[in-house]
Amino acid sequence: MHNAACTCWNCPAIDLTGKVDFRACGQSKEVFAQGQEGQGEGYIVAECKRRPELGLYDPMSVTFEECPEWKRTPFGYLLDNMRVMILGIDGYLGWTLALWLAALGCEVSGVDNFARRGWVSERGAHSVVPIRGMTERLHAAKEVLGLGINFRRIDVLNERPKLREFMDEMKPEVIVHYGECPSAPYSMIDLDHATYVQQNNVLGTLGVLFMMRDSVPESSLVKLGTMGEYGAPLTGRPLFEGMFPADAVLQWDNREWSMGGELTPRDPVSFYHVSKVQDTFNIYEACKYWWLRSYDVMQGVIYGVHTDQVAADPRLRTRLDMDEWFGTVINRFVSQAVAGFPLTLYGSGEQIRGFIALEDAMQCMTRLITQPPEPGQYDVVNQMSGFYSVRQLAETVARIASTEFSLPVLIQRVENPRVESDIHPYEPIFSKLPDRFGFQPRVPLEDEVYRMLELLTQPHIRQRINEKRHLILPRTWWSGLKKQVETLEIIEEIKYEPTRKAFRP
Amino acid sequence: MPDTNKRVIIIGLDGMPYRLIRHLAAEGVMPNTGMLARDGVLTQMASSIPAISSVAWSSVITGVNPGEHGIFGFTDVASGTYRMTFPNFQNLKAPPFWKTGANGRSVIINVPSTFPAAELDGVLIAGFVALDLRRSTYPSWLVPKLADMGYQVDVDSGKAGRSLDLFLKDLDRTLEARIRAYRYLWAEEDWQTFMLVFTGTDRLAHFLWDAYEDASHKYHEAFLEHLNRIDQVVGETVARMNDGDALIMLSDHGFDSVDLEMHVNYFLAQEGFLKLRRTPAQSLADIDQETKAFALDPARIYVNLAGKYPRGSVPVEEREVVLGEVTGRLRSLQVEGRAVVAAIHRKEDIYHGPFLEQAPDLVVEPAKGIDLKAGLTASALTGKGPFTGKHTREDAFLLVAGPAGRTAVPANPCVSDVVGILDRLRDGHSVR
Repeated sequence: MHNAACTCWNCPAIDLTGKVDFRACGQSKEVFAQGQEGQGEGYIVAECKRRPELGLYDPMSVTFEECPEWKRTPFGYLLDNMRVMILGIDGYLGWTLALWLAALGCEVSGVDNFARRGWVSERGAHSVVPIRGMTERLHAAKEVLGLGINFRRIDVLNERPKLREFMDEMKPEVIVHYGECPSAPYSMIDLDHATYVQQNNVLGTLGVLFMMRDSVPESSLVKLGTMGEYGAPLTGRPLFEGMFPADAVLQWDNREWSMGGELTPRDPVSFYHVSKVQDTFNIYEACKYWWLRSYDVMQGVIYGVHTDQVAADPRLRTRLDMDEWFGTVINRFVSQAVAGFPLTLYGSGEQIRGFIALEDAMQCMTRLITQPPEPGQYDVVNQMSGFYSVRQLAETVARIASTEFSLPVLIQRVENPRVESDIHPYEPIFSKLPDRFGFQPRVPLEDEVYRMLELLTQPHIRQRINEKRHLILPRTWWSGLKKQVETLEIIEEIKYEPTRKAFRP
Repeated sequence: MPDTNKRVIIIGLDGMPYRLIRHLAAEGVMPNTGMLARDGVLTQMASSIPAISSVAWSSVITGVNPGEHGIFGFTDVASGTYRMTFPNFQNLKAPPFWKTGANGRSVIINVPSTFPAAELDGVLIAGFVALDLRRSTYPSWLVPKLADMGYQVDVDSGKAGRSLDLFLKDLDRTLEARIRAYRYLWAEEDWQTFMLVFTGTDRLAHFLWDAYEDASHKYHEAFLEHLNRIDQVVGETVARMNDGDALIMLSDHGFDSVDLEMHVNYFLAQEGFLKLRRTPAQSLADIDQETKAFALDPARIYVNLAGKYPRGSVPVEEREVVLGEVTGRLRSLQVEGRAVVAAIHRKEDIYHGPFLEQAPDLVVEPAKGIDLKAGLTASALTGKGPFTGKHTREDAFLLVAGPAGRTAVPANPCVSDVVGILDRLRDGHSVR
């Protein structure tokens, strides 16, 4: 178990009472307020909120393995009935994670203002996989899976008192923050949209940090960022996990400096990505000032439709978008294949990105939750299971769609509306999750694409895709131009030999 | 008939050495104390083993030794685990004098190791370690009053590391708020026993013992002023006392200068008795199976007995061998040409009572000028900490005012004699 040796120091159930330096018969609470180690030799004194009979004790002297409150699960020791609050619980990831964690025995609560549904319908689009309203979702979760989820309709940015009240009531031991607008093109539509995205994301999260300080400082924040925070630097320097490794050195002018532990440069590629970078700095500072603890999750491009819970009943399905604003690339390609719409590569199609399947993302989040950061610890993980060029992905989708589902699939290159290099080096480092959290990707790309095609070729979903096929080609240009992109080239139809369902999961 | 009007007042000065209080009384820094000493008995008193506040004050208030009250240090190891606990008032196994029924209604202010405050006939504000004022106070109606007074249990010692000026300011603030609480409770409560402990004295001595010894030190005057302020409270108390009231003053241990710290666990590791699973170790949970002995602060040594600890590996029949080896190596240990150890006690020789089993196997007393520490993170055998003063065992003080002291104080008193003295001052009769 990756977290067996973690101690109460990591556990949200402890109350950090103070710090005592018995050498000077001195006590101090200041260390927690200041986030400073003082003279380093004192004892940290804690009490366990779940096991008050332990009295005052050294939180580093009890491991998760020894503590009866931490139970074995396939993803490491997990705090019994751990209280998890999901911000943005109605979204693609939020809803999926809610069911996933509830099924693992967590006490799940969540908030949403249904903004995602609003943004998508504002653009005239819809989720191609039909989704139910929250009330019906909650009923179905209870009825089909026997899972209870405590939901409150709250706008994280504009209803702070309500959110604070809900936090005080639920006392979450971990807060998963998915409650942001996740779209680069949406933020690039015009000034109003850019302003909206940055306010919603940056100021919403800033409010969450203050609330955590005042209500649940021992809780950890697992916050969704994006690999896009780093950009794709043309120098080819590796995309480290947020901070430079210990042995990184800056050389200049015949001098050198250690860069170990410093935040790596960010090179965001849209006003949306800028909002994520700003979040990163705000969270980093809050951890420093207030001893909050957080994992900032730089997620690769997400795709997929499956977890056992969302697949258990049509009413439990999570959303899937394919429009230019909210459709992520693989989800869009699969929808295009189903609609007989040539898969669209922007520019050369040689852009390389990290990717992760929905179910693998759930595994990662669970593993992060099972190993909370230490007080004051801000850490970054690059959450992806592999990286591909967009063209490779298009070919993979095309191959599976044509060989396994007899769908004729073309690939086309279109004008690139974004400002980005479409041919660039790419060396992401993504070893923390496997090395420190025991993450093992379980979903091969081909398997998930197959599963998606199975679902999306169902007639009622195919029809929903066809209804919105006019929203696939982008018309939001980073330059401000408003016009649909033109086709540069249709790539010759590729003939694939049918296999015998080689990818059936 | 018990004398229901006879009240006893106890004033504690944490860590105040006999020779210091004698000196300051004679020099006029503590004139009121000097007057009491002239009319009563001022004597040296032995502290507990080890000479630390939690153990010593627990003996002061219960009248028994650690084998009977169960407090052996600020830290302990929970039975059957390596979980390091911080024993508190709930772990005290013998009743304090205010729970025996013999001392009437009591006001107890700032006695170390009385956190969390428990119900009593009277009022109690716990002393160090007490990180939460609400749970330090009984009854709870007093909490807002104390908050209004700016009461805090202890000076924030973290400040001393950053600025001695800041530390001294906080020390003063803590003392003044404590005096406000004392005046308020003295006047508002109807009591038969009043106990008030000043703990700033100990903090001051840890960080600024050198300032006391060196008259040209920047903080020499500040050191003396703090003790003078406490002496004023002593004078004020004497003035407030009724005829027939008795007054005891005491400290829990003495102080002396320190110039070298020796790290006991580092020594045990160096000599092959202690093996840790990682370096630097984070906690006792890092103790390896091959460990034969480990230490807790300040220098309590425990044999890693099979059956007693999760990775205990020393069979009971080999305990003597390990104790003999550790004792021998410590006795012969010299640092910078001087012996480190003044005495090594076996638990059977110093403790008795039902809780002997949980006592450390050995307690080591350091030689003059040396302090012993048992953290797990030391990277060298010896070092120089930020402290200039260290506790001593023989040099606590006891003062009983008035002629009563002559009959009440035994020869060669120690901290566990105080309850007996209290009884004698009340003529051995119950107040109620």
